[in-house]
Amino acid sequence: MSTSKGVSVTERAKVALNDEFLRNAVKYTTEKLRDGKRQASSEQGNWEEWRERGRQIRLHTISHLDYYLNQFIENAKANGVQVHFAATAAEAASITLGIAQKRQARTVVKSKSMVSEEVHINETLEKEGMESIETDLGEYIIQLAHEMPSHIIIPAIHKNREQIAELLSKEAGETLPPDTTILAGFVRKKLREKFLEADIGMTGCNFAIAESGSIVLFENEGNARMVSTVPKTQITLMGMERIIPSWDDLEVMATLLPRSATGQKLTVYMSGISGPRREADSDGPEEMHIIIVDNGRSLQLGDPDFQELLNCIRCGACLNACPVYRQIGGHSYGGPYSGPIGAVLKPALQKNVAEWDDIANASSLCGACYEACPVKIPLHDMLVYLRNRKVKEGHKAAEENLGMKGYAYIMANPKRLRRVLRLGRVGQKLLLTDNVIKAKIGPLKGWNQYRHTPGLPAQSFREQWHSLDQELQQTRREMDETIKARLEKERTQRGKGGSHS
Amino acid sequence: MSEQQQAFIQMISNRLGRPMPTEKPPHPFKGAPDFWKSYELDLEQRIELFRDNWAKAGGHSHRLSTMAEVKQFIVDHAQSLKARQILQQNQPELLALRLKEQLPTCQVTTWSPGNRDELISQAASADIGIALVDQAVAHTGSIVVTSSGNTGRSVSLLPTVFIAIIPVERLKTRLGETLATFDGRPRKQFPAGIHFISGPSRSADIENDLTIGVHGPGVVFALLIG
Repeated sequence: MSTSKGVSVTERAKVALNDEFLRNAVKYTTEKLRDGKRQASSEQGNWEEWRERGRQIRLHTISHLDYYLNQFIENAKANGVQVHFAATAAEAASITLGIAQKRQARTVVKSKSMVSEEVHINETLEKEGMESIETDLGEYIIQLAHEMPSHIIIPAIHKNREQIAELLSKEAGETLPPDTTILAGFVRKKLREKFLEADIGMTGCNFAIAESGSIVLFENEGNARMVSTVPKTQITLMGMERIIPSWDDLEVMATLLPRSATGQKLTVYMSGISGPRREADSDGPEEMHIIIVDNGRSLQLGDPDFQELLNCIRCGACLNACPVYRQIGGHSYGGPYSGPIGAVLKPALQKNVAEWDDIANASSLCGACYEACPVKIPLHDMLVYLRNRKVKEGHKAAEENLGMKGYAYIMANPKRLRRVLRLGRVGQKLLLTDNVIKAKIGPLKGWNQYRHTPGLPAQSFREQWHSLDQELQQTRREMDETIKARLEKERTQRGKGGSHS
Repeated sequence: MSEQQQAFIQMISNRLGRPMPTEKPPHPFKGAPDFWKSYELDLEQRIELFRDNWAKAGGHSHRLSTMAEVKQFIVDHAQSLKARQILQQNQPELLALRLKEQLPTCQVTTWSPGNRDELISQAASADIGIALVDQAVAHTGSIVVTSSGNTGRSVSLLPTVFIAIIPVERLKTRLGETLATFDGRPRKQFPAGIHFISGPSRSADIENDLTIGVHGPGVVFALLIG
């Protein structure tokens, strides 16, 4: 694993910032995906109306999640699915293991699933002597490298062709050239054998349709279809919030998800799977399990600040829009989810605030994530709520505490402020060069790492105010009557409250 | 309802701070926005848009007039691709083509109920898979196929080449028109697998370099009939 416990986002980001290939690769790919989205959404037209509709459908579903999830479960069971419930990642892993052992499975083939990354399913199965293989090309590459995905849509965004050729050559037992067609050809051949011999196929779930008990998978390679067609047993790991009410609603999600993720009109494959194979069918699973996973999701329900987090459709558009993600890459976030959604999800899924790291600080709060989000989740606001909760719980840097106390002490008394400023002007003389402070010392250490601190001016604004005010008094003219009347009117309106334009 | 299910659902209701609704909640925002539902293209526009989208995704398409032309197309391509194995769905329109007689050097297999292991291994070694599609969508450039005893999922997935036959009257404008046919369909008539296919299998996972035919068919033909 490229992430280790106890290390902060800042520490990991430092490593990423020194990796030039990584930064260029991430920049190139995110820009390409962003351009794709821009083009696809403008081609579709009325994008804001589609976003709003997507938001409404997700809001409605989540606020009635008990009803719709129950309806989904009843219909899935009627379709012949065995439904399981997992409160935690560990429970999901042990249910999966139980099914695999009962089936005496030796090989498990998996299609891409973010929930399975939360659950660490490969490690669990491998510990018990089972082979568990990721079959999405990108996921297969990072599984060979023992890493986590660094982008929700392009998991191996951080690996170059040479590194990939090296990893695959080890698997092939011969040297493969760094040629995309040859490398992909090797993977196709190798994994084709695995699909055919596997006992169990595992999938994630993009959407679950309550009215028919169906799961819906979006993919481009065909591996999710493989794992749900060839093996005799299928296990689907599903986040409890993946529900949408009807097939009609799927049109909206299918309009938003691929366009936001890759700029495609639809992924190459969109599959609706409604239970195990019918009696006459000659392919498809004979036995189908759905494991409904909570793992911290329910903590958001009923929380006015975070309930909308469950609206996320996992498209990755916020990663591609984020100026911080572009610089530090996915591994800096230290979990399966990266970018703005990762910065909110990672702490939000954990009840214990003491275990939160500095992840919520990995954002400039510019709001580009919200602009990009196809279901309009206010991620930038949520990052502020997270910071707020962390501080309220008493988790903040000691220096910050001291700084805030000092600031309060000085600002509470004008005489004190004047005295401190005067002292500062004298004290800074030793440090000033070209009227800026460059020394990385004391409280200026972090700030001066990347920029200079301007020196205190000879006269502060407060000291200038007396003469400024006099100047103003002399030049002030009566306001134009019409403007004055308009402003007055607006001010009274404002008092009544209302909506922003 | 199992105890576990009840506890799980109850936990959600508790967090939402109210008992579980016993009646279907009113859902005023169901499906696509109204302006979209009136979007409709005439047949020739649908065909043109479908072909354009299919080509942009990397697929090939042809407009043919009759099933006799389809037969000729398949025979010509099977010969030029030197196909040795062909797998077709068990559909009367396909059986009527009598491909076995037309391609004596080829092994032509027809999908059938209850023959799992043999059919899957046939599919895995097939050069060409052939299916008549249920529906198609112009706006997204997609075809829709469903599973049954006579129509396997493997046929559109495991062979190297996939040929989809689309009678033009099955081609719709919007995705929603095809999805609506599944809402409220009785369970007995509900297929286990519903698959929308929009071009050849693809991946951009290696340095963003587009690769075609990663797991599914790398060559896909859409034959529009009529």
